[in-house]
Amino acid sequence: MNPAHVIALCVVAAGLAQCAAAQDPPAQEGSAYETRYSIAVINDATFYANTAPHVPAVLNQMLVEPTFDLHYRQRWSFSTSLIGGTTTYTDNTTQLHVRETYTGLSVGDFDFTAGRKLVRWGTGYAFTAAGVLDPPRNPTDPTDRLNLNEGRDMIKTDYVRGPHAFTLAWSTAELARSGTNLHDTTAFRYNVLVYGFDTALIAGNDRGSDTFGGFTFTRVLGQAWEVHGESMWREQEALLLGAKYVMHSGVTFIGEFYTPPNTPYYRDAGVSPFAGRQHYGFLYAGKSRLRQLPGWKEWDVSGSIVTNFDDHSYTGVFDVNRWFGTHFSAYAHVQVPAGGRGSEFGAAPYASANSFGVRFQL
Amino acid sequence: MSNVNCTLRTILLFFLIAFLVTCAIVCRAATATSAPDAVALLKHSDTYRNGWPSFVTRVKITNFESGRSDEEELYEVSQKGTDKTYVEFLTPREKGRHVLMLGDDMWIYLPDTSRPVRITPLERLSGDASNGDVARTNYAADYTPVYVRTEKVGPETNTEQCYVLELTAKRKGATYQRILYWVRAEDARPVKAEFYLTSGKHIKSATFDEYVDSNGKMLLRKLTLYDEIRHNSHSVLEYSGAVPRALPDKLFYQGRSDRF
Repeated sequence: MNPAHVIALCVVAAGLAQCAAAQDPPAQEGSAYETRYSIAVINDATFYANTAPHVPAVLNQMLVEPTFDLHYRQRWSFSTSLIGGTTTYTDNTTQLHVRETYTGLSVGDFDFTAGRKLVRWGTGYAFTAAGVLDPPRNPTDPTDRLNLNEGRDMIKTDYVRGPHAFTLAWSTAELARSGTNLHDTTAFRYNVLVYGFDTALIAGNDRGSDTFGGFTFTRVLGQAWEVHGESMWREQEALLLGAKYVMHSGVTFIGEFYTPPNTPYYRDAGVSPFAGRQHYGFLYAGKSRLRQLPGWKEWDVSGSIVTNFDDHSYTGVFDVNRWFGTHFSAYAHVQVPAGGRGSEFGAAPYASANSFGVRFQL
Repeated sequence: MSNVNCTLRTILLFFLIAFLVTCAIVCRAATATSAPDAVALLKHSDTYRNGWPSFVTRVKITNFESGRSDEEELYEVSQKGTDKTYVEFLTPREKGRHVLMLGDDMWIYLPDTSRPVRITPLERLSGDASNGDVARTNYAADYTPVYVRTEKVGPETNTEQCYVLELTAKRKGATYQRILYWVRAEDARPVKAEFYLTSGKHIKSATFDEYVDSNGKMLLRKLTLYDEIRHNSHSVLEYSGAVPRALPDKLFYQGRSDRF
């Protein structure tokens, strides 16, 4: 779709919404303005074992991550989230990144958003097939533990009515970091909650590239199971199926199977273009608040493994986090890749990456 | 002849008096055992925690271990109707988290996860005060009540006549399978509760400690949850700043990514 048409549609929708809003009853509120803020300061040191001779063995990152949100009468909003960081590796670099900065206008059943924003349409935990505007998933760090993911620059219109939600978004790649494989993207999403299925249909087009279409779902079964899945057609089909199981003790297991086609859009940097369709597996086990006892509930522990079934390589990941009071925490994050030299995970230029860090959160 | 009439009159009078006394006793017994309307009682008792059809309130939870304050958490709860609740976590350790409840379905939004995560019923019970204790406070929507008995509750100097209701979960979104619920006879104000799992295990007890007049409504101000598995642990929930507010439906849309 032509971007000009998308913008025109957004403007027309805004006009319609203004008319609808005129009939809304006035909202009773405590205060016209509401604000939220947070600041995270992280020092993360990663020690690489058995690196090549010319590669530094220590990477140190000092990150400052402020966020600020302002809402005015539940109608207008402004949000920003920045990342300032000093990295010490082959040399010292200091950079400022905009993670998110957007403004929103809420009128009647419509929400309009403009700016850089993190959007998450995919339902996968470690992988995504249908997250066409999502930040890239890293299966060895699915939680983005240092909060380094950045949003897409976009204009977005949401229309929410009862259980139905329609979203139209146009995202530009003009302001994206160099080296990323992003295109201008026009995407439409219809999301509905029906019989417990949180289901979404997604369709769109990458400018000068592919047209795509697919769906996502999540569903809770019984007391302990959640299942989720994604399917997307973009030249060829990509499929993701996953499940989560929670034990009475609170231990959580997540398993996912993901098979993307070997096309430029889906292909990981470590995979040969001639390798054919890839098949991945992911298994996670973890528990936050190790036990509900003093001295134990400050601990969060998890372990996961991600594997490429085609080249038989894998990476094991172990995380442990401990809170000290309300504001401070310390953590360890260990990654151990294994596999042949030419395999996806075995090609990592180190035997293990051991990260240790401290975090202050306000 | 007159002796016979006199005797008959005496017997008749005796039977009449006996009949009247029996009627009075039966009527009194019937009045005493007539069960109150459990559904109406439960609906009324819910109004002490849900003052308006659409409102916002803050909940501070202080966890105690062996009598000492151990953790403190702060939440802002937005609630609309009986089946839409949105909880924002405000303490630094959990800042950026949100829980959304839509009918029987719940999601948690974690700032460090790539997507909203569906919560299974078991996850609703996590934490000293579970997600369900904060997000699901409309018992009439979640449970079927049955009147059990009337009893006096409280210290000897200040006992209160209470109705005891047995609540059984009627939808899968309910946090507990069974609740024994004591409400004050005179105004249905909750006094105490016992919470049970599907297995029958008595997992928690609660006392509804303080009420306060807030914006013209008598609302619960302080609730204490006692862990019945680890008896030296309890949590105090303090409610404050409750105000009615017109909340748009789209605040409770599960796909909304700009929470708050």
